Amino acid sequence: MTGAGRGHAAGTGIGRGRAVAVRGRTGGETDVLVVGGGVIGLSCALACRWRGLGVTLLEKGVTGGQASGAAAGLLAPFSENGEQPDAFFQLCRESFAMFGDWLDRLREWTDRDVELVRCGTVHVAFHEADEWPMTVRARWQREHGVRAEWVGAARLRELEPSLCPDAVGALFYPDEAHLRAPVYAEALREACERAGVVIVERANGLQIRLTGDAVVLESGAGESGPTGEGGATGKFGGGDAGSGAGNRKEGPVAGRWEAGRLILCTGAWSAGWQEALGIRIPVHPIRGQICSFPVPFGRVRRIVFSPQGYAVGKKNGTLVCGASEDVAGFDASVTEEGIGRLVRMGRRLFPELADVAPCHAWAGLRPATRDGWPLIGPVNERVFCAFGHYRNGVLLSPVTAAWAAAWAAGGEWKAEKTGSGRRAETVGGGRRAAREGDAKRTDRDTDVWAPGVPAFRAAFDPRRFTPAATAAT
Amino acid sequence: MADTVEAKRSGADGDAGKEAERGDELAVGGKILRSRLFLGTGRFPDPLALKEAIAASGAEVLTFSIRRVQLEDLAGDAVLKHVDHDRHVFLPNTSGARTAEEAVRIARLARAAGAGNWVKVEISVADETLLPDPAETLRATELLAKEGFAVFAYCSDDPVLCRRLAEAGAAAVMPGGSPIGSGLGILNPYNLALIAEQVRVPVIVDAGIGAPSDAALAMELGASAVLVNTAVARARDPAAMAAAFRRAVEAGRLARLAGRIPKRKYATASSGHEELISPPYRVGGVPL
Repeated sequence: MTGAGRGHAAGTGIGRGRAVAVRGRTGGETDVLVVGGGVIGLSCALACRWRGLGVTLLEKGVTGGQASGAAAGLLAPFSENGEQPDAFFQLCRESFAMFGDWLDRLREWTDRDVELVRCGTVHVAFHEADEWPMTVRARWQREHGVRAEWVGAARLRELEPSLCPDAVGALFYPDEAHLRAPVYAEALREACERAGVVIVERANGLQIRLTGDAVVLESGAGESGPTGEGGATGKFGGGDAGSGAGNRKEGPVAGRWEAGRLILCTGAWSAGWQEALGIRIPVHPIRGQICSFPVPFGRVRRIVFSPQGYAVGKKNGTLVCGASEDVAGFDASVTEEGIGRLVRMGRRLFPELADVAPCHAWAGLRPATRDGWPLIGPVNERVFCAFGHYRNGVLLSPVTAAWAAAWAAGGEWKAEKTGSGRRAETVGGGRRAAREGDAKRTDRDTDVWAPGVPAFRAAFDPRRFTPAATAAT
Repeated sequence: MADTVEAKRSGADGDAGKEAERGDELAVGGKILRSRLFLGTGRFPDPLALKEAIAASGAEVLTFSIRRVQLEDLAGDAVLKHVDHDRHVFLPNTSGARTAEEAVRIARLARAAGAGNWVKVEISVADETLLPDPAETLRATELLAKEGFAVFAYCSDDPVLCRRLAEAGAAAVMPGGSPIGSGLGILNPYNLALIAEQVRVPVIVDAGIGAPSDAALAMELGASAVLVNTAVARARDPAAMAAAFRRAVEAGRLARLAGRIPKRKYATASSGHEELISPPYRVGGVPL
């Protein structure tokens, strides 16, 4: 990874990673390795790069290929947290608050439009008995600064004219939003490349080795390793995903990569790191099936939730209906039964779809965790976990990235600062990194995108499922 | 029942506890149940967690909120599709209802949709305590019992109210240990023991259970069964917690059958000879 190599990768994009990869580790330029090329991995890599760190991202398949490409792209922190203002609510809300700045920053690095729509959400009630639980929910959320209100049938009709007439009301969150998740993943990728992140695809079967002062990743090219498990390979062709994944069909990449720090963003495939890290990682895949109907943008105005699923109108003229939650292991295929349910749900909400055939159906694997909360944080001085985001990877990408980058840049674990950290003065126009022996923060750090680490981070400690580790914490 | 334990023990040299539990089924609402742990299906992080928790709990009765499910097609519901419909008994609840009439309408919807004739009447007040409304609950119980429902009345832990509910035709009363979802456990064990003693229908402790020890205590106090949801669904490891609750309910039930010693103000030496001259005593004066 010479400077030239990085420029090469940055300039010409995907596919060139191979040349870099076979050369493997080339002396001190990579400060951080990121494993996993979904929205979390790409965001972490980008945020690290923005902090001036040298970053290599390794992906077992193609970037944006799994849950990220399948997601509906909802930014719905209040819909996702109806129970109480716990740490997960705080995390979601913080990330949501960061999104505007995050996308502004992203726009400096890519021309792709992620198709953000700030349309708000209605949670439709079909029972009179829904009203007061929703009212109670709105009440506590308002106490935490959320705009939330119960709206009756008449007002709901104004908010969403094409909705079925038997809805009795709705809980309305005017501030929630959505974006096109596959395009968001592509935008992140492009920004990574332009900022100088080295991206290596088809790096399968990676093994982690911690040495005295570094972390080493090795790929035996085709050996089954943690990331190779299952073999579900993004079977959502024909879906919302717009990537040119089909063009990248070369064989697996072998190589050896070394850096001071490692960030694991391996989604549903993360449980395989248990032995290497010595902690319990109860992460499992939950399949989400989605389908879409051809519906002009604007016809469905809001994100519409019912207890059976949601519908959201995209700028590309589709109404996306999701999502099932299936226990199906690593099988990422769609089923007749699963899509049938979604089609019925969509038609139940919008009677005008009665004679409209769905145009696309696809599926992805969400990384679920035993307690429903992601695993975010360091497990030792070299390895940071950032996976298990389940339904909320897109929403939580800015806060996760900021947190991981703060750690990677030494901001969080000052005591363990190894001296391998590098910091750029800026990240624009090539990398002007300077060795920084004393690892002191400079005023120029304010130039980089560097929000802090969430105060409630302990709740997401990746070691929380490991009795000995938590006892020692 | 202590006598039964004794008799069975002399017959089998194996596990006396197992003997005591054999034949200890719970008859309620026209059904015979082996498990005394009821499990709510809400608030689980994902369907695998739900499935694993159900399996680990051994629960036969599963509750769900009628307003949250797809009544037109229960088997295809987003949550209930993950449950083996042949192996479980559903106890649909009327959560969200504020009046007796509303609860009655919701219960009828569920029965018409083929969810059976069991219904848990859940009418809570609209404030942060979510405490059950006794007046509306009693009224709904009367109305629904007349319509042939097996009514499981979720109520506060008031012995007189529980008696009234039983008289009104409830198949079971479901006093809360503390406010729903609070995890505060059993705030008034005295009331609960009194309810278990006085009420002639099964007493199923519902709401507020935070830990397996709470469930064990409820069973020791004489409850017929325990319903948990949040304490399992929101645990760090729901399946493991479900297994813990299963054992706790079994332990509490067994302890109830076994008869605990009375509480005493002063120590008694366990190695002394007092037992030889003391008459056998009943458990705390509470008939088993």
